[in-house]
Amino acid sequence: MTLRRALVIGALVALLVPAAASAHVTLVSAEPVTQSRVDVPPTEVRLTFNGPVTISPNAVRVLAPDGTLVSGPARTEEGGHVVVAPVSGLVDGRGYTVRWRVIGSDGHSPAGVFTFGVGIAAPAPTDAVGASGTTWRDDLARWGVFGALALLMGPLVVRLVVVRGSVPPQLERLFHVVAVVSAFLVIDIGIAAFVLRASNALQVPIADLPYADLQPFAEKTRFGLAFLAMTLGFGVVAALLLVAWVLDRLVLRWPALILSLVLISGLSLSGHQATEPNAAPLAELADWLHLVAASIWVGGVATLAFLVWPLAPSVRRAAFLRFARLAVGLVAVLVLAGAYLAVVRLPALSDLWTTEYGRFLLLKSALAAFALSFGAVHHLVVRPRLEAGGEPDVGPSLAGEATVAFAVLLAAAILTNLAPPPIDAGPTSTAPTSARSTR
Amino acid sequence: MIPRAETAHWVAGALSLFFGLVLISELIVGREVFYRRKWRAYLFPSLVIASSVGLWVITIFSTFSTMHLLAHSIWAQAALVAGAVELALARGKIARPAWSLVPAFALLVSGMAFLVHEQNPWLYSRSAFLHHAIGWMLVVVALFPLGRAVQPGRLVWRSGYALTFVALAVLLFADRDAAEIFGRFGLGGP
Repeated sequence: MTLRRALVIGALVALLVPAAASAHVTLVSAEPVTQSRVDVPPTEVRLTFNGPVTISPNAVRVLAPDGTLVSGPARTEEGGHVVVAPVSGLVDGRGYTVRWRVIGSDGHSPAGVFTFGVGIAAPAPTDAVGASGTTWRDDLARWGVFGALALLMGPLVVRLVVVRGSVPPQLERLFHVVAVVSAFLVIDIGIAAFVLRASNALQVPIADLPYADLQPFAEKTRFGLAFLAMTLGFGVVAALLLVAWVLDRLVLRWPALILSLVLISGLSLSGHQATEPNAAPLAELADWLHLVAASIWVGGVATLAFLVWPLAPSVRRAAFLRFARLAVGLVAVLVLAGAYLAVVRLPALSDLWTTEYGRFLLLKSALAAFALSFGAVHHLVVRPRLEAGGEPDVGPSLAGEATVAFAVLLAAAILTNLAPPPIDAGPTSTAPTSARSTR
Repeated sequence: MIPRAETAHWVAGALSLFFGLVLISELIVGREVFYRRKWRAYLFPSLVIASSVGLWVITIFSTFSTMHLLAHSIWAQAALVAGAVELALARGKIARPAWSLVPAFALLVSGMAFLVHEQNPWLYSRSAFLHHAIGWMLVVVALFPLGRAVQPGRLVWRSGYALTFVALAVLLFADRDAAEIFGRFGLGGP
């Protein structure tokens, strides 16, 4: 009776609470429109918010490409919903950066950056005045995403393709645990990578970062759109994997695997192969195949080394032999796609040693060759012995291959954040050789 | 690209109210009667898992603020893990009462995310008040699943857990940022 009464009271209170109110203060629209081209130089910048805001005189700062301030003191209109800053001296053929910071009636202090172009297309948000390129933190975050993807793909592929029969319960449990934790890691490290990248690109001060408006970066860059799709998608993957564990339905891991394979394309569709001047669908496809093959190879070797080999003596021989056959195809795809991408990205052979991008590509290739040498020994020496009924202890060398493979992923992460040499430059390119990608 | 915040709050509040109703129904009729239909046992945890996917959708709409992006992702992950554990308990895949520590931890983390993502003091505005209220409520009610882990048979823990969702629904329905019921008492307000 008491519970019923509480329920009725709770429901009534919920329904009686007034509905009129506003949302968290966010930028609803801007004139000039964010990331737009205008043909006539504007005389003011108007920002419309979904709630009343308070401002300081420099709440809106409009900056010319050389960093010169071209805006005057800002004022509010329409009950504080609109912030207006006069601008003067804008020149045709230039892009301008708008940096704003207001205080909402809910007390939050959102801030943001966007650009517009006068007579030209708006510069990308990452090219806003003050925007900076990637740092070692971005490299680490990218490495984390690559590593987590490999640790997600490894148990899934090994369990679904390589070890298809029954396995010891402990191994089955660990397949689940590693896959689920890795799915969460992909999401969380991805969020960290996004925030790092957005704050660098938009040059939002640390003090403003907690309530910074990251929408221009999220919605106007391929990196941001890929982040949004991958966050949502891997949230579904994590849910599928957890439900597969609870219901003991191995088949539910198939949609998780297929969805993960599709989502990995987000990295390819927002990387060099999609944004460089000579971007082409074939290069994007090659990049996706390269990533998929690398993830399955690295994750698969790690799964064999640290889960299957030590925990399941009854199935490890068959697992090793089946994975060895699969690895041949993976390595073939990895090498062919990688070689094709190197040719596309490097206009001249000398770029391999004259540019930072080329040198890192050489380093990555050397590390990959070292890792593949383990694979060659496994394939040419260990596999025949296992097929002949021998019991070679391959665990340590599998662990070695996995360790070097993760080092390859680190080199790949750094390479991804480096700007490749300009496509129209000749063999004696004078482009900066230490440029960091600002996408 | 951003849906109105109150729309998301209404949906979340309605879901939370429904969660509470399901759990209270189970308390009123007793577990034996409630579980005569197997799907009823799965209803609450399945909805919590489904709500986590919904929270991911809200998360990707929350790039207007770093803290909101992080907070929504924490709530989504907490709901997913807690829902999966509740489903596993309902299905009998796991049985140890200690697993109730997972929902307790999820409530604790969710409450802390509410508190951290609110930058203003209690009386700054209505939304600030409610964010603090929800945050502290979730931190405190983490005691209910914690108590369930220690004393699984006691009705008070299950009742408290069920009523938590009703209370959360009330607060979410009320969470409309700048409504005037509490005014803007703090410094710096307009």
